[in-house]
Amino acid sequence: MKASSIVLGLMVFGGIVYLLFPVIVVVTISFSSATYLNFPPPGYSLQWYLKMLNDPEWLSAFWVTVKVGVLASLLATLVGVPAAFALVRNAIPGQSLLNAIILSALVTPPIVSAIGVFIMYVPLGLVNSLLGLAGAHAVAGIPFVVINTAASLRSADRDLERAAIIHGASPLAAAVRITVPIIAPGIVVGFILSFVHSAHELLIASFVLGGVGKPISVKMWSQVQSTTDPSVTAASSVLIGIAILTVISVGASRSLAKRRTR
Amino acid sequence: MSASAVALDRRQISRFALFVHRSRAVPYLLLLPCAAWIVIFFIVPLVLMIWRSLTHEGFSTVVYTELMTSPQYIKVMMTSLKIVSLTTIVTLLIGYPIAYALTISGTWSRIAILTLVTIPYWVDVIVRSFSWLIVLGDNGIINKTLMQVGLTGRPLPLLYSLVSVLLAMIQILLPTMIITLFGAMLRIDRNLLLAAKIHGATGFQAFRSVFLPLSLPGIYGACLLVFVIGLGFYVTPALLGSPAETMISQTIMIEANENLDYERASAAGVILLLITIAIVTIYNRYFGLERLWGGAER
Repeated sequence: MKASSIVLGLMVFGGIVYLLFPVIVVVTISFSSATYLNFPPPGYSLQWYLKMLNDPEWLSAFWVTVKVGVLASLLATLVGVPAAFALVRNAIPGQSLLNAIILSALVTPPIVSAIGVFIMYVPLGLVNSLLGLAGAHAVAGIPFVVINTAASLRSADRDLERAAIIHGASPLAAAVRITVPIIAPGIVVGFILSFVHSAHELLIASFVLGGVGKPISVKMWSQVQSTTDPSVTAASSVLIGIAILTVISVGASRSLAKRRTR
Repeated sequence: MSASAVALDRRQISRFALFVHRSRAVPYLLLLPCAAWIVIFFIVPLVLMIWRSLTHEGFSTVVYTELMTSPQYIKVMMTSLKIVSLTTIVTLLIGYPIAYALTISGTWSRIAILTLVTIPYWVDVIVRSFSWLIVLGDNGIINKTLMQVGLTGRPLPLLYSLVSVLLAMIQILLPTMIITLFGAMLRIDRNLLLAAKIHGATGFQAFRSVFLPLSLPGIYGACLLVFVIGLGFYVTPALLGSPAETMISQTIMIEANENLDYERASAAGVILLLITIAIVTIYNRYFGLERLWGGAER
């Protein structure tokens, strides 16, 4: 029994080292003083961060990603939250529909969506359009918003909303002013996950915004293919930092959600 | 507008709202924007792609016949299936013990392990693939260590091989495997294990004859997810593989971006989509998809 739990512990440890090792390597090299990719680095400096900050292409790529991601997540939230209300509160064939949406978004190969979206966008003139990319990214964001909003909504106390209606509020006002603030942490989690998906998405992005005004994923992809310049590790590390901040904020809003809906 | 007109207007709006409310249309109206968005930006593009693949100089399936008989496409498809199968098996072997450890660990160690497991999940696939480029290169830490220890005289060609593609793909898909398995394992009633032990089973016997069979639906579900997501991989094989590890998404990308042959790209895309749908359908037939989503509101 003792031996088996030691073996299990070693397996967990090994697995976590395997999972985290590449992440640690990238972050370490981003502080390298060398001009080539070498791990462990011969010395440490901030040169690659400075280089990135002085490169207008990286800065514009970050900015494009933020704009597309926020727009896509806003769209996903605007259509996803009402859908979550409908699915949770009504005995329509909702659960199977929800499953179908999640599944198709998860399993459709990204290259397939990318080709399809590109074929549709060319005649519509939506290629090279921020709005076009945000519209396509919103589709993938919807499941994140619906799942997290629905989960919060299931545990929210509906009697508060009923009380507001009894006191004269219209059903819409009661839902928007009473229930939406209660389930806000769930909506925020959905929004963040949707944003992260949009920021990571490469294939639709490279078809729609592959030329000028590249988002960060497209810029990174062209960079890692062509050069071995460590500046890409600086950009990666900034993204990893953002990711860790996101994990923390998701965790915080989850525990906030629990406290509020208890 | 006078005050009474405003009041009348308000009353009409509320009457309309009441009408909508009574007609039980509200849930459908709430679903409408979401459904419309998915149809316009997801379904319509797929339909256009299918249409494009079938209209090569008039309506014909000639592109499909070409692809199905092309040795290059058959080879790429077989390579993709081989890489994804190997990835799925190894991911399961590494992921299962970690998911199991999560089910038996205490609250704090569970939170710690879950956090560590999900950190890479938040890092871009490009970054995670790129890091293996640094680690596995001739001057990378693995080759340096091996040479220092004296296991090899000159750097091993680890990069641009099946090994490098597998190492990265397994690492990228491992969090998905662990989280899905963990979700399924949480639903197993641990009292059954206790019952087995009361009746004289050792810890390992209880695990093998009770826990393992009960976790099979979770195994199938997690493997389905990993397999289907892995089948669509583009970045990892493109960055870390040699031409011998070319996967189907790369070929489709080349048809579209370099050959500008959207008929072939669409047809290959449709074939990839059909294979994906076929795998999901077979899974659904034998195991039921609802099992996969049993913990949808985790």
